[in-house]
Amino acid sequence: MKLVTFTHQDKERIGAVDNDGRIIDMIRAYGLYLHDVEKKPGGEKLALALLGRDMCDFLRRGDESLDAARKTLDWARTKAAQGDRRLLVDPETVRLKAPVPRPGALISAGKNFSDHVAEMSSRKGPSFPVAFLKLPGTVIGPEDDIPYPPEVKNLDYEVELAVVIGKACVDVTQEESLDYVAGYSAFNDISARDVIRGENKTGIHLMGKSFPGFAPMGPYLVTADEVPDPQNLKLRLSVNGETRQDSNLSYMIFKIRDMIAYWSQMGLNAGDVLTTGTPRGVAAGRKPDQAPWWIKPGDVVEAEVEAIGCLRNRIVPER
Amino acid sequence: MRIYLGLTENSAPHQTRIFGDFESQLIDLSLAYAGWMKRHRQLSAAAYELGSYYFPETIAAFLERGVEARIALDNVIAFARNTSTGDLRGPAGEKILYQTREIRLLPPLQNPEKSFVIGYSDRARTEVIPTPEIPTGFYKLPQTFVTTGAPIIWPKFSTEIDADACLAIVIGKEGRRIAPEKAWEHVGGVTLLIDITAREINKREGATTNNLLGKNFPSSTSLGPAVRLADSNDDLKDMAIDLSIEGATRQQFTIRECVFSVEQIIARWSILGIKPGDFFAIGASMARRGDRLQEPAPLRVGSTIRCSSSTIGELTHKVVAATGAQT
Repeated sequence: MKLVTFTHQDKERIGAVDNDGRIIDMIRAYGLYLHDVEKKPGGEKLALALLGRDMCDFLRRGDESLDAARKTLDWARTKAAQGDRRLLVDPETVRLKAPVPRPGALISAGKNFSDHVAEMSSRKGPSFPVAFLKLPGTVIGPEDDIPYPPEVKNLDYEVELAVVIGKACVDVTQEESLDYVAGYSAFNDISARDVIRGENKTGIHLMGKSFPGFAPMGPYLVTADEVPDPQNLKLRLSVNGETRQDSNLSYMIFKIRDMIAYWSQMGLNAGDVLTTGTPRGVAAGRKPDQAPWWIKPGDVVEAEVEAIGCLRNRIVPER
Repeated sequence: MRIYLGLTENSAPHQTRIFGDFESQLIDLSLAYAGWMKRHRQLSAAAYELGSYYFPETIAAFLERGVEARIALDNVIAFARNTSTGDLRGPAGEKILYQTREIRLLPPLQNPEKSFVIGYSDRARTEVIPTPEIPTGFYKLPQTFVTTGAPIIWPKFSTEIDADACLAIVIGKEGRRIAPEKAWEHVGGVTLLIDITAREINKREGATTNNLLGKNFPSSTSLGPAVRLADSNDDLKDMAIDLSIEGATRQQFTIRECVFSVEQIIARWSILGIKPGDFFAIGASMARRGDRLQEPAPLRVGSTIRCSSSTIGELTHKVVAATGAQT
C-alpha cells in the first residue's frame, strides 16, 4: 500500500493511493465505512480516534490502523467501481506533502557507500555507523520547492532511501530489525558544503544540513510488505534530466538492518526516519572541478528509488 | 517570574498546564486567570477561554502570545497576592493552588524545533582557548528530555558518561537573520539544562565530525525545572550556574564567561529561523576559567547530580544503571 499525506482545502490529511493513482482521504473514507458498513454512528470522529490525526500518530497505532487502511482502500475501490465516487479525492484539489511531514527524529547516514567515501577523499570508510541529525522541521514534500539560501555558495544533492520506523524499539538485533519498519520513501539530503566545511573546523555539521527545505521526502510511504528486498534497489538522481548518481542500495557499507540495530541503542519511535546515505556522484565529489555540478536556482532535481518512487523538486531563490 | 509545565494528578499525558510560583506553592495560571476574570471583569462568560488563551498547554505557546500574556501573568499574580488563600479558586470553585509534590513537573519545553547546545567538538578542544570562529552547536532530540527528579539512566553502550551544566537561552519571539544588536529582543527567558554525554562514543563520533549516539540517549538531556522569564539582560548575564556531584561543586559559571555571546549565538543560528520555545544552551564547557575552558564532570552509577541557579531553581538527579546492563 502507498500511504500519503496531503493537503485538501487547507487541511492536512492522511491518505492511501490505489494502483490507478487515485487518492482516498483515509479518515473520511474509514468514517464512511464505519458508518455505512459497520453501522457505527460516530463515523468520521471515530475514524479519527482510531487512525490518528497525522502520519506519526497513524503509525504509532500499529498493525490495526494499517489493516483498517487496507480494508478502507479495498472498500473505496469497490464503491468507485460501482460508480460511488464520494471516497476519491479529486487530484486537482490536492497537494502532496512528505508522507511523514514531521518525523520524530531524522537520522541520516554519512560515509555509507564506499564509492562516495572515495570521492569525498576520506581515507577509508568508518568502522561504525556514522550519522547526523537533520532537523525534522526541514522536511518538505514532492510538490515543494527547495529555497536556495543566500548564505550558501555550494549547494549539493544526495539521493537516499528513507526508512520509516513503525514501532518503538530499543536494542533490536539485525535479524529482527526490519520488523520495526513501517515502509520506505525516496529522500534527497540537500547539503550546503561550504557551510559544513566552516562548521567542521571546530564543531560538527548541523546548519549545513538543515536550512529550511533541505529534506525533500516522498512522494509515497510504500509499506514494508510491498518491498521484499529493500537492500537491493536502484538509486538514481538527475539534475535537469542529466544523470549524476546511479547506483544500488546493495553497495551500502552498513546495511539497513545494521543501521536500525545500531541506532536502536538510542531508542527509536514510530515516525522516526533513518536515511541510508548516498552513493557517488555528488557535486562535491566531481573531479577536477566541482563548480559545474553545484545546484542553483532554476534547477530541477529528481531523486528516484526503484519501486519506491521519484521525488522531483525545483530549486528557487529564497523569497 | 518563573513558570512551570506540569500535570495534575488525574490528567492525561496531553493535558499539560502552566503553573506559576506562588508563596512556595504552584498556581494553575489558566484557572487562576479565569477566576480573576469572573470576579473583577465584565467578560466573565469568556473567562475559561481567555484563561486558556493566555496560559495554553505549552510554554512555547505562552511565549508566542507575547507581551499581552506577560501582562496577563503579572495581573493574575497581583490578583492572587491580594486575595485570601481560601478564596483562591477557579470560576466554579476549582482548586488552583498546589503543593509542588502534587504536580508532576515536565521538561518546560516539550518539542522545540531547535534545541541546540553550543559547543566545540572534543576534537577541537585544546589546552588553550581556541579563537572564536563561529558558534557551532549540536542538536539534542526532544525525546531525550527529562526534568528534575527523573533518574539519569546509564546507557548500556558506554563506560564513560559526564555532565555539563548549561544555561539554555529560550527564544520568546520568532525571527530570522537577526542582527546581534536585536538579539535580546528575541529572548523570552532562560532555563537550566544538563547535557549528559557518553564521552568515548562522542570522541569516536567527533572524529567523523558527527555526534549523535554520544549525545542522544534516553535521559541524556535534563531541562527545567522552570522557565525564568526575562526581565533584563544584565540579570541573565550575571546569573550564576553551579553543578555539583555528591554535594561537591564541579562547575560554576555565568554566560559572560562563555567564548561566544548570546548576541553572536542568536545572530548565527537565527539564519535558519527561530521560534518561541526554541533554545540555545551555553555550557560550562564553553565558559572560561582563567585561561582554560571548564571540563564536564564525570559520573558514576549512584552519583547525585545537582544543577542550580538561585533564580531558576534546581535540577536534581541520581544516576542509575540500565536494567539488564552488565557493569
